[in-house]
Amino acid sequence: MEEVLNNLEISIDRASCFKGNNMVFENISYSVKNNEMMLIMGPNGCGKTTFIKSICGIQKLESGSIKLNSIDINSDSSEHLNNILYIGHKNSLNNDLTVFENLEYLCAFDKSVSNILEQEIKKSLEYFGIAKFKNYLVSKISEGNKKKASLARLLLSNKKIWLLDEPLSFIDSEGNTKILDLFNKHINNSGLIILSSHIDISKDVTNTKKYYMENS
Amino acid sequence: MLRKIIYKEFKSYFRNLNSVFLPLIFFFLIISIFPLLIGPDKNLLNKIIPGIVWITVIFTTLLSSSNFFKDEYNNGFLETYLTSETSIELILFLKIILCWIFTCLPIIFFIPIVSIFFDIPLKNSFVILFTLIIGSPILVSIGIFGSSLTLGIPKNNVLVPVITLPFYIPILIFSASAIESVSSGLPYEMQLYILMALLCFVLPIMPYLLKYTLTLSINN
Amino acid sequence: MNISKIANLKFFFTNTKNLSRFLGLFTFILFFFGIYWGLYVAPSDYLQGESYRIMYLHVPAAWLSLQVYMFMAITGFVSLVWKVKIMEIISIQCAPIGAYFTLIALVTGMVWGKPTWGTYWVWDARLTSELILLFLYIGVIALYSAFSDKRQAVKITSLLAIVGLVNIPIIHYSVEWWNTLHQGPSVTKFEQPSMHISMLLPLLYMFLVFNVYFIAVLIKRVQLGIYNREKRSKWMEDYLSD
Repeated sequence: MEEVLNNLEISIDRASCFKGNNMVFENISYSVKNNEMMLIMGPNGCGKTTFIKSICGIQKLESGSIKLNSIDINSDSSEHLNNILYIGHKNSLNNDLTVFENLEYLCAFDKSVSNILEQEIKKSLEYFGIAKFKNYLVSKISEGNKKKASLARLLLSNKKIWLLDEPLSFIDSEGNTKILDLFNKHINNSGLIILSSHIDISKDVTNTKKYYMENS
Repeated sequence: MLRKIIYKEFKSYFRNLNSVFLPLIFFFLIISIFPLLIGPDKNLLNKIIPGIVWITVIFTTLLSSSNFFKDEYNNGFLETYLTSETSIELILFLKIILCWIFTCLPIIFFIPIVSIFFDIPLKNSFVILFTLIIGSPILVSIGIFGSSLTLGIPKNNVLVPVITLPFYIPILIFSASAIESVSSGLPYEMQLYILMALLCFVLPIMPYLLKYTLTLSINN
Repeated sequence: MNISKIANLKFFFTNTKNLSRFLGLFTFILFFFGIYWGLYVAPSDYLQGESYRIMYLHVPAAWLSLQVYMFMAITGFVSLVWKVKIMEIISIQCAPIGAYFTLIALVTGMVWGKPTWGTYWVWDARLTSELILLFLYIGVIALYSAFSDKRQAVKITSLLAIVGLVNIPIIHYSVEWWNTLHQGPSVTKFEQPSMHISMLLPLLYMFLVFNVYFIAVLIKRVQLGIYNREKRSKWMEDYLSD
């Protein structure tokens, strides 16, 4: 198992990103530490998804840098992926597998999960109240439940940095409070969250830093 | 972890048995259309059957590999692969092999039946079998490479064949000539060795190439 | 945004206008001399008579078609590895030029084939691999034009071109080998084993002319490519309004 860092700091320095000839975002400088949550808000199409993708390194920057503990994440020696759990706005659930199989499979990629037990997956599904869909094919359940199933990874993984893209879409109010509880627990457990959302949840989660992105 | 990946791939193939059987049916359909087109002349058919078998294999592999990553691109799985700390090359390698197992292996199993239909001598049908076993993994991996290039394009139905077919040519030339050599009583081992060399060249570098293409494709 | 990268494109765009014009004119004059040399001065072939003279177009075009592909793949490689913007544009602008050269080589080869083989098309090794090269070019162009995001497109097509470059020798030798296996009517080759110097010199000269032509057209096309990419940027607006 990889060493899990306890002191984390993501510092973004004048990051700019282009898609084709169009600028997506420009000159973002920001820094987030342990016990903090960065909430990215802004209108549709302002580049929230691209920004989150660039923090986990699958979107390359045009200029500027993103560093985790002063190591550039785009350098070869970077081990940022050992600490980052990325859940995109696509659920990354395979339609031909059941919810349980999907989670088991996704955990196989996560080295912070040493040995996944059936019981733990069941517990995480119970937390979101979707345990009864455990053996349903993903194509058979609703969008909101798919979202919950993909967020169940948060309970299974031991990674410190959560990168979440629109985790609250499609989710009912009951699920909402459960997710916010989860965020609070993670923040208090010296975790770090970066997420994009259309709902202002800065009052519900401790230590939230809000960041507005403008349409460019 | 390897066990889980193989298990998962097998499961999703088995839940979509259509995608395994339909290429096979397609293969038989095309094969049986040729005699209808050119007449049942046995000598002529015997002469062109290697070409027919290979053309049909090309169609079938293109059919199943041209949208290979589409699902995983759409449901975000590729992002998960690329943001996981585990080595994705191994997964890609396994995926190529499994794709071959489920699309080409069934066809290879049915080559003896095709040989009976077209009255191919036993030795020749063995050579056809060998060329297919060695050549079709190359076709599959090139097809998958083509599909990874076209991920960012919404409609890529004909594009993948247009891109990948020129790359198929060496493999086709050597396998067709091996089959032809054996049917005219000439030595055919050299062609098989060349095919084997091509396989040993393509298969190991393909996962790395695919990883690079996928990172480029997802970066959009 | 990196200043040096913009400056690079800007420098190219603003400084090569006269160069491409000059090269264009230069090609025209050189070409005129080359045609005169090849069609009138060079002696006629004792075997093929006058019809061999088309090789002064065919052979340089065929050489260039390969050379341009190589150039395209290498510049593509440079653009992928070192992220040089100008190389991206150069790489992709090579594709149509190379495709035209391939087409010229094919058509002149066919015209030459009629008096020599008695038919326009023979599945000869050289012509066949030239045809496959044309398909490779078409693949690159088709892939490029299918993308809406052109910068993404350049990256992906460079990759295809590089893989194609690795494949060209394999394709070439397999086709050659296939051809010797099926000994067709086409044992005649363009290059005789010992070409007389008075025939060879105009050929090399024409090769040079084609190269100059390639550079002239490439510069023009790269300027167009830069314009298309940067037409909304500030320096371009400033430059054009001057």
